[in-house]
Amino acid sequence: MAGLDVSITADAEAGRGSELLRGMTAALPVMIGFVPFALVLGAQAARKGLSPVEVPVMTGLNFGGGSEFAAVELWTSPPHALLIAAMTFLVNSRHLLMGAALVPHLRDLPKRQAFPALFFMCDESWAMGLADAKRSAAGFSLPYYLGVSAGLYLTWISFTALGALLGPTIGDVTVYGFDMAFPAVFLVLLRGMWKGARAAAPWLVSLVAAAAVHLLVPGGAWHVAAGALSGLAWSFLQAGRRG
Amino acid sequence: MIQTTTLLTITLMALVTYLTRVLGYVVLRDRTLSARTTAVLDAAPGCVLIAVIAPAFVSDRPADLIALAVTLAAATRLPLLATVVVGVTAAGLLRQLLG
Repeated sequence: MAGLDVSITADAEAGRGSELLRGMTAALPVMIGFVPFALVLGAQAARKGLSPVEVPVMTGLNFGGGSEFAAVELWTSPPHALLIAAMTFLVNSRHLLMGAALVPHLRDLPKRQAFPALFFMCDESWAMGLADAKRSAAGFSLPYYLGVSAGLYLTWISFTALGALLGPTIGDVTVYGFDMAFPAVFLVLLRGMWKGARAAAPWLVSLVAAAAVHLLVPGGAWHVAAGALSGLAWSFLQAGRRG
Repeated sequence: MIQTTTLLTITLMALVTYLTRVLGYVVLRDRTLSARTTAVLDAAPGCVLIAVIAPAFVSDRPADLIALAVTLAAATRLPLLATVVVGVTAAGLLRQLLG
């Protein structure tokens, strides 16, 4: 029996390994999309006086692109820690909702695994993990999610550090169209979540509300909170009508 | 190579960000979710994603809007990497052509 146990464990190990690899492979296009942004963030941070050591410490401990761009934008010497922390909270407040949306998928996971896994939750790792859970019969795959996360995390840390080293030699990437990588990734992820027009109605509400808020209050991250919450309010009403 | 005020700011940022990541999970984890809550949480991923990229839909540069339309069309039929390549190429070319 001991032999059987060992072989089952070995199978599970191999399964986890292949799931991890599947996640990393799936993340490749997104990793490529990360590179120009990571280089630019690193270069901008270096321009603001952050050292090539400080930059990867920031991106490695925080791992939230939007909030890091905002922080570097606000960076002074010495930095206003509280202002930057408040802006970080605002930009990352969508994580509250994202973490909540993961709850039904993480039901069987012990806290000691869930808490470290949540450290790596960014828009892309979260959306890819969920999209994969909706596609497969087995549901949410933690090793797949961790594979995606590992690929994205290592790319982000190493290329922000490289950006800080290269510094001012890096120009404006938006000239070349690299910034379109994010809408492209997000639109493909949305296609994966598509379940008909009715289920997508809250998305349209989110889009319109977020676009309107972006036009009225340019800059900052208010459009994300306003858009997401409007869509959820719509979905709440829709679910109530149905019964 | 690390200044104290910098390290303090970075640590604060990291704590705040991690808090946003775990709080939604911690609050809802041990509750039984109603059908309505589940429906709302099901809609959440799409709502967040579309809200993040909403500014691209109201860009004031025609080149960007056309590139977004091309990217959207690509996203409905192509795999992820192909869509990214089409989107980046379209945006790069259209900006060169239309400014």
